[in-house]
Amino acid sequence: IHHIVQNGGLYKKPFNEAFEETPMLVAVLTYVGYGVLTLFGYLRDFLRQWKIEKCQNATEREEQKDFVPLYQDFENFYNRNLYMRIRDSWNRPICSVPGAKVDMMERVSHDYNWTFTYTGRVIKDVINMGSYNYLGFAQNSGACQEAAAEVLSRYGAGVCSTRQEMGNLDKHEELEKLVARFLGVESAMAYGMGFATNSMNIPALVNKGCLILSDELNHASLVLGARLSGATIRVFKHNNMQSLEKLLRDAIVHGQPRTRRPWKKILILVEGIYSMEGSIVRLPEVIALKKKYKSYLYLDEAHSIGALGPSGRGVVEYFGLNPEDVDVMMGTFTKSFGAAGGYIGGKKELIDYLRIHSHSAVYATSLSPPVVQQIITSMKCIMGEDGSSIGKTCVQQLAENTRYFRRRLKEMGFIIYGNEDSPVVPLMLYMPAKIGAFGREMLKRNIGVVVVGFPATPIIESRARFCLSAAHTKEILDTALKEISEVGDLLQVKYSRHRLVPLLDRPFDETTYEETED
Amino acid sequence: SLQEKEELIEEWQPEPLVPPVSKDHPSLNYNIVSGPPAHKIIVNGKECINFASFNFLGLLDNEKVKNAAQASLKKYGVGTCGPRGFYGTFDVHLELEERLAKFMRTEEAIIYSYGFATIASAIPAYSKRGDIMFVDEAACFAIQKGLQASRSNIKLFKHNDMAYLERLLKEQETEDQKNPRKARVTRRFIVVEGLYMNTGDICPLPELIKLKYKYKVRIFLEESLSFGVLGEHGRGITEHFGVNIDDIDLISANMENSLASIGGFCCGRSFVIDHQ
Repeated sequence: IHHIVQNGGLYKKPFNEAFEETPMLVAVLTYVGYGVLTLFGYLRDFLRQWKIEKCQNATEREEQKDFVPLYQDFENFYNRNLYMRIRDSWNRPICSVPGAKVDMMERVSHDYNWTFTYTGRVIKDVINMGSYNYLGFAQNSGACQEAAAEVLSRYGAGVCSTRQEMGNLDKHEELEKLVARFLGVESAMAYGMGFATNSMNIPALVNKGCLILSDELNHASLVLGARLSGATIRVFKHNNMQSLEKLLRDAIVHGQPRTRRPWKKILILVEGIYSMEGSIVRLPEVIALKKKYKSYLYLDEAHSIGALGPSGRGVVEYFGLNPEDVDVMMGTFTKSFGAAGGYIGGKKELIDYLRIHSHSAVYATSLSPPVVQQIITSMKCIMGEDGSSIGKTCVQQLAENTRYFRRRLKEMGFIIYGNEDSPVVPLMLYMPAKIGAFGREMLKRNIGVVVVGFPATPIIESRARFCLSAAHTKEILDTALKEISEVGDLLQVKYSRHRLVPLLDRPFDETTYEETED
Repeated sequence: SLQEKEELIEEWQPEPLVPPVSKDHPSLNYNIVSGPPAHKIIVNGKECINFASFNFLGLLDNEKVKNAAQASLKKYGVGTCGPRGFYGTFDVHLELEERLAKFMRTEEAIIYSYGFATIASAIPAYSKRGDIMFVDEAACFAIQKGLQASRSNIKLFKHNDMAYLERLLKEQETEDQKNPRKARVTRRFIVVEGLYMNTGDICPLPELIKLKYKYKVRIFLEESLSFGVLGEHGRGITEHFGVNIDDIDLISANMENSLASIGGFCCGRSFVIDHQ
């Protein structure tokens, strides 16, 4: 059953998000598959304990044998028996720039993935559908790289000091002004690592006596930041505005759990694009709720900055809303800008407060100079300030690629989750054996994909995730689609029961953001 | 009733998101450094001698380092565009891990992209709720955050005071004897730093090793400031004291001080490092 939600009065264009339900037969078979694997796991553990089978884990030192064991045996059960079988789909080493095509180092395993050896050969020109290279800025030549090289020779590679001491270079000031202008907020502040931005700034904003309402599927960095802050955390169902409203009303009416005192403040944590589902947050409704109940909104745009919106300014521009409505806009530079680090943007009082009280500013080193230069150059390019229109073409190319790719995959009959406009495309596989098989078959055909299973996703909903990029041309996408269709037939993953009628007249949708879809 | 609820919602006023800060707060306006933060540094337009950066070995503007960085910039670009698990592992990462392991003479090493996150992620990976950690009072902020994230029981001992630590360990032992079943599953760790950031002195490592074997606790050593500084070849405090490196369960360090770059690493035996 498709759950397609059309607009309420707040949406300016249709919001098409679909999460097709798991077919019953497939769900049953998946559970059976996991059951069989668990039984085999117990059998092999038994054999290993009785030394019939060789144990290939590293073991404890002789002198420390009578210490309390470092790991519980059961913690590693999943690791030893299920993860080890398909371990070669992850941590694949590459040896070139992570653009649209990449060179991968070949590795083989002679003992069923316990150890790997590198043959020394390199697989050239593997189509890369796994890196977060949304706007194609992962390049090793061109304006960005030259500017970064020049800064590297002038400033050196690192900054051996924290931000509040000698670590604040003039480059950092320039970057922050640029980020504030890009987002349309009053001021911004940049940090060294995206993950750490969340985990170190949420504790500075909220503490005990405050309430945090976070989405079910929030990223580990948001969850860690919320835990470290000491505030009470309540979870609402993914993208479900009724659940959020109910929680808000209950919180204000009943107050804190035991003392019944009113909450000091309420903070809502949401993400722009959720990386495992490919869904986009319902921002107009969240902002309406936030205004009605006087709470604060923290928006994590790690995947959506640069990737959504007619000029790449993220999910706020995609919905046509005012960036001043969002209290804290956070994002990372790793994905669309091809660099590293994170930022927070908002009102001047907020940023001033964070400059003094954020853990990262006081104790952690600041961004490295060539990285800062890469962000500055790529951001100027996206905004069009360097005089060319490369930025605009990249953003449009990404939007076209997204629509084309998603439509073709749905026509072929795969189950695809998520919003029509998100460049993160999860393709459902469900069964544990197909996870490993899909990854390996695609690599044989020279395409690198990312497969994810438990614990990143619910146990029966394992998937393959494609990250589209503006660097992918139509030929690359066509090749990839052909191979995906072949592998899909081979593995029988075309589960969808609702086929879209293929468009016969145009090869792909040429709609831009100004027109509406038919 | 519904009307009362509506009234309560109307009346509720939250605190402002951030309290206002005065304009003259000393940390508000940072000093702006123009030019490279090397030995001579230009702060707010004035040229000064730099006694403030952690540039211990002077590698920040070393020509060889810069040339190697330029070469890899031409080959790989600036960012990795992905985590280690999804096509973010480059051959240079693997080479660095091998060389670190060989240099420190341990079996394996693993690198992180941010120094603060290194120790703050390593501690919760091993120590969970219910485990006991003995930590020095002067431990740095990153260790404190790691401990907070791990939710274990924390026992602080006075800075570099081995007698205090031994007393705490003895108390723990008597408690264990009362409840042997629980004692068999609670793990115990001591977390110390090689060179303390807050006080600037060194921890007495040989005595800690003796305590380790006597009371059966594991040692996590944080060598952010001592890596590259102490020891004959720069291998840190284990070389300085001549202690066998296998005695330490986990050494974690960040590369932002002596190595003049960004990131961190952990090294130790494969048994310990594989888990990360």
